[in-house]
Amino acid sequence: MKWATRAGVHIDRAACAWLIRRHIDPRPEFVFVGSPSAVPADATPFDMRGVDLGHHGGDCTFETILRRYELHDPVLWKIAEIVHEADIDDEKFHAPEAAGLDVVLRGLSMIGDDEQTLRVTTPIFDGLYEYHRRALLLDRPPA
Amino acid sequence: MTGWVLLAYRIPREPSRPRIAVWRKFERLGVARLGDGLVALPADARTREQFDWIAEEIVEAEGSATVWLASPAVEEQEQQIATGMRQARAAEYQAVIDEAVAAGGGTDTERARVLRRLRAELHRIGRRDFFPPAQRDQARAAVENLATAGNPAPAESLAPADGEHA
Repeated sequence: MKWATRAGVHIDRAACAWLIRRHIDPRPEFVFVGSPSAVPADATPFDMRGVDLGHHGGDCTFETILRRYELHDPVLWKIAEIVHEADIDDEKFHAPEAAGLDVVLRGLSMIGDDEQTLRVTTPIFDGLYEYHRRALLLDRPPA
Repeated sequence: MTGWVLLAYRIPREPSRPRIAVWRKFERLGVARLGDGLVALPADARTREQFDWIAEEIVEAEGSATVWLASPAVEEQEQQIATGMRQARAAEYQAVIDEAVAAGGGTDTERARVLRRLRAELHRIGRRDFFPPAQRDQARAAVENLATAGNPAPAESLAPADGEHA
């Protein structure tokens, strides 16, 4: 499937791309556009103004996608808290990882294009998922 | 200055919940209020995105909102707005300085608690501080002073005398 989002990806879009790849569409094709009118007709837009998969009711796009696709995995909802804080920074959740992740993503957007940011962040989110999966199983910080 | 991002909006008075939520977001972002339903921030990737999402939120609340990139016709106008924003941040930093100084005489536990809280507050103010006032560095120093106050600072007595390692 084809997915479209705004160019210059930051935390929410990078996390959504990972979420789509790992839990919704194993062979996604991502298109980065400058404006909503540039979204290809056959693409599903996300994290853009005026589309369904965007910010709604205080949720960031990552949370919206979890709701729309009925993904109830508690590990994904833990990651959603981190993404929410890194993206919106409204202190709705206690997610100390958010500040660091925000800086890493902003730095990445300064040194490479969107494809590279997704290449680098895919294993980062894989690792984040594994860490919080173990934390949830052990009910304490793993390792 | 690379320009400004403006958000022009109208939002219904009732229900008040979405209106208050938007107002809180403006406070948190430290916007300059240019008039009724018109707010501004220096434009960068983050401020543009934040305004985009607030605009979306306003539209969802049955209001209307448009986001613009702008530059002032006269430079003095810009300086006036920047000065207003700098003064607003200066007052916030000053409140942090006052709290830090007041906590200086407390017990170790109290100081540690105030230190944590004020570091978070400094982070929040820093996020909306686009034209840093002199009080910023003073506030940082006053807060970090809480981390060392109460412990004798060994640095000076242990430092080698001038020239020893020349």
